[in-house]
Amino acid sequence: MTLVYFQILSAALFSIGLYGVLVRRSAVLILLCIELMLNAVNINLIAFSAYSEPIVATGQVIAIFVITIAAAEVGLALAIIINLFRNKGSVDIDEVDLMKW
Amino acid sequence: MSLLEFSIIEGIQMAWLAPAISVLAFVLIVVFRLFESKLGSAISILGAISGLSIVGYVVNQFDKTGAGEFSSEWFTVGSTVITVGITVDQLSVVMLAIVTFVALLVQIYSISYMKDEPRVGWYFAVHSLFVASMLILVLANNLLILYFAWELVGLCSYLLIGFWYEKRAAAEAAKKAFVTTRIGDVGLLIGIILLFKATGTFQISTIIHIAQQGGIADTSLMVAVLLLFLGAMGKSAQFPLHVWLPDAMEGPTPVSALIHAATMVVAGVYLVARVFPLFELAPPITLTIVAIVGLTTAIIGASIALVMTDLKKVLAYSTISHLGFMMLALGSGAYVVAMFHLFTHAFAKALLFLSAGSVDHGTGGKRDIRELGGLRHRMPITTITFSIGALALAGVPPLSGFFSKDEIMMAVMDGMHPIFFIIATLAVLMSSLYMVRVLILVFFGELKPENDGAHESPALMTIPLVILAMMSLVVGFFSSNWKSFFGEEASHDIDPLVLGLSISMSIGGLFLGWAIYTKRWVAPEEIAEKLKLFGRPAANGYYIDSFYQWTIDRIVLVFANMVALFDRIVVNDTVVNGTGYSVFLSAFKLRYLETGKLYNYALAMVIGVLFIGISKYWGIL
Amino acid sequence: MSASLLVFFVLSIVCVGGALGVVLARNVVHATFLLLLSLMGVAGVFLLLLAEFLALVQVLIYGGAITIVVLFVIMLTKSDDFHSMTDNQQRPIAFIVSLGLFGVLTFAAITGDTGNNVRSSLKFADLGDSLFTKWAIPFEVASLILLVALIGAIVISKQGEEE
Repeated sequence: MTLVYFQILSAALFSIGLYGVLVRRSAVLILLCIELMLNAVNINLIAFSAYSEPIVATGQVIAIFVITIAAAEVGLALAIIINLFRNKGSVDIDEVDLMKW
Repeated sequence: MSLLEFSIIEGIQMAWLAPAISVLAFVLIVVFRLFESKLGSAISILGAISGLSIVGYVVNQFDKTGAGEFSSEWFTVGSTVITVGITVDQLSVVMLAIVTFVALLVQIYSISYMKDEPRVGWYFAVHSLFVASMLILVLANNLLILYFAWELVGLCSYLLIGFWYEKRAAAEAAKKAFVTTRIGDVGLLIGIILLFKATGTFQISTIIHIAQQGGIADTSLMVAVLLLFLGAMGKSAQFPLHVWLPDAMEGPTPVSALIHAATMVVAGVYLVARVFPLFELAPPITLTIVAIVGLTTAIIGASIALVMTDLKKVLAYSTISHLGFMMLALGSGAYVVAMFHLFTHAFAKALLFLSAGSVDHGTGGKRDIRELGGLRHRMPITTITFSIGALALAGVPPLSGFFSKDEIMMAVMDGMHPIFFIIATLAVLMSSLYMVRVLILVFFGELKPENDGAHESPALMTIPLVILAMMSLVVGFFSSNWKSFFGEEASHDIDPLVLGLSISMSIGGLFLGWAIYTKRWVAPEEIAEKLKLFGRPAANGYYIDSFYQWTIDRIVLVFANMVALFDRIVVNDTVVNGTGYSVFLSAFKLRYLETGKLYNYALAMVIGVLFIGISKYWGIL
Repeated sequence: MSASLLVFFVLSIVCVGGALGVVLARNVVHATFLLLLSLMGVAGVFLLLLAEFLALVQVLIYGGAITIVVLFVIMLTKSDDFHSMTDNQQRPIAFIVSLGLFGVLTFAAITGDTGNNVRSSLKFADLGDSLFTKWAIPFEVASLILLVALIGAIVISKQGEEE
């Protein structure tokens, strides 16, 4: 079980999350897929930290920060989604195209 | 010589003050906007008087110290140093004297003539500017300053011809004068540049010096000198660039007297005289060309003057004819003689024009000689002065014109092929004839009843007339002094053939005129009928004007229209407007990229990142 | 096949399976729970990487906070097609793109230099040390971010007497 395994796992999760972001129509679901991507990044970071010689704490510390920021971001994003729902009646992002030509 | 040393004035160096004061007069009038007030005229007259006194002082000093040239450095371009300077020698001194003297008289005359004119201040301002530029022109010691003054003189002429710009004819005449002399000016400029290229300097004396040492190739010298002559042709109304002078009569009569008789039109003659050594060093065909042009102009001017009916037009064509005589003299190699004729002609022609203005003033605006007649009963002073001027130009001894014409004929006889002499004699006869014709028709004969109210002009107008008349009477006797002044031997043997021919031509013309117009031995109408073949074209100016108009209409304007079309369609519509429109078009198509949907933008971002990543790996980026 | 490798494969199946579920599920709530499953799998992976504290934090934050909040919002923004969300039109291109990205990343992983492949455990005290000394300032900034996010969320979703 070398480092490469974890990197491939991380890559897989990241790509799946990316696909979800590009494809899903509900704003909430997009948010969930973003969370997926962030977690993939976390796996990568911690894997690098664990396999480093001599061991450094950098990867884990950054992972902590990522989780923190992700949490903050989810809070804010959900507030925006609620606002969007109030103004438009649905969270379908296909309908959010006021900046259209 | 630094500018500081230059300004310490003494002796003939003071000559530069003369134009400076006139410029000051112009600037004062313009800065204080005295265009409508009499104060403007006062300033200008003061300037003219000071100018004349300075010139008088300079002439006085000149007798003591002789000629001199002063220049100072202006600026440097690369390895060329441009200087400004004045040259005070015999040639410029006589021109200074003529210009300031006649200008002062004309300005005094104008006080009365332009009395009722509202914009009299502007008139005097341009007058002063003209005097200043003419003085700069004759004082200039390098071609650049001369060209500058040349253009300035042309500008003042334009402003003064078109002084009554409310009249369409005046505006057109001013434009025509400017454009016609422009053609000559282009030649002048190219000639100056050619000379600069050949010698590396603009200083006239240096150029002559280099040419005398053989430093300029024959062909380039000839071309440059002929181009300079082209400029002279424009300004001095030589054929075929003479068409502007008759139209310039639309300007006020004092303007015609000063600019188009005595001073500006002689700038061309002065230029040829100034660079005369170059003409002599060029291949002999050059001087012959000058002579031919002069002769043609003389005969054309004289023949048209014979059939003109407007008083000022007769005088205009007469001026053209006499300028032709001056050029003829130059072409024969006798530039001193040409300058002498310039001298006598200036006074006489100015006198004639001012008298014509007096007639105009006295009869309430009549200029057609068919409507005038017998004015001697009502305007005696004008009659006398006009007669003196007319007879002087006709070449009647012992008036001044006789001496100068005689000298010219002698020079032509000596220097040129006999055919020149024959045609010149014919021109002399005609000049006498037309002057007498005008004299008789206007002043002698019966007084028409509608002219009964004519009155003599006020003193301010008649006094200059009298002064000029006296000059015309006496100046002729100074021809030997003139020659020695210029450093030539006083006089060779007087050729009796030429003398006899001159006298007989002028007296003969007198007699012929008297016979036809007074005694009516042959009625003028009959002669006009018989000579219709010559008379009709002459009256139409030999259709030269029509030819020019045809050229402009058919060639110049057609070409201009084509260019305008090209400019409108290609440059404006396609290139300029088209570029703007293409931006608009592309934006119209590209705006569909902005779908407004977030996932589209996200996709674009991801594709971009992928692209960068892959190409970075493969070394493309 | 060592035990850890077996565990790894099981955990990766859970993670990837959950993730696929998130992107393919019709029902929003199903998707949320599948995300939760996936993230717990991730927590397990952290354990495999000898980062116990982070596994704990992962479970706590994601399982305990974020999922709950998301469920709340789903409840608050109920829409008609709540039970079956269709996807938008970008499916083919997005598929290709994400596949491409996966390929690039895998390629980078495989051809990179990976060192000597020894897992080591980080002492907890060292983590704390590092967090509060070397990374002290980002730590403070992170807390500030949390504060700002908190205030921002309240401000944005405030109803009532604004304009």
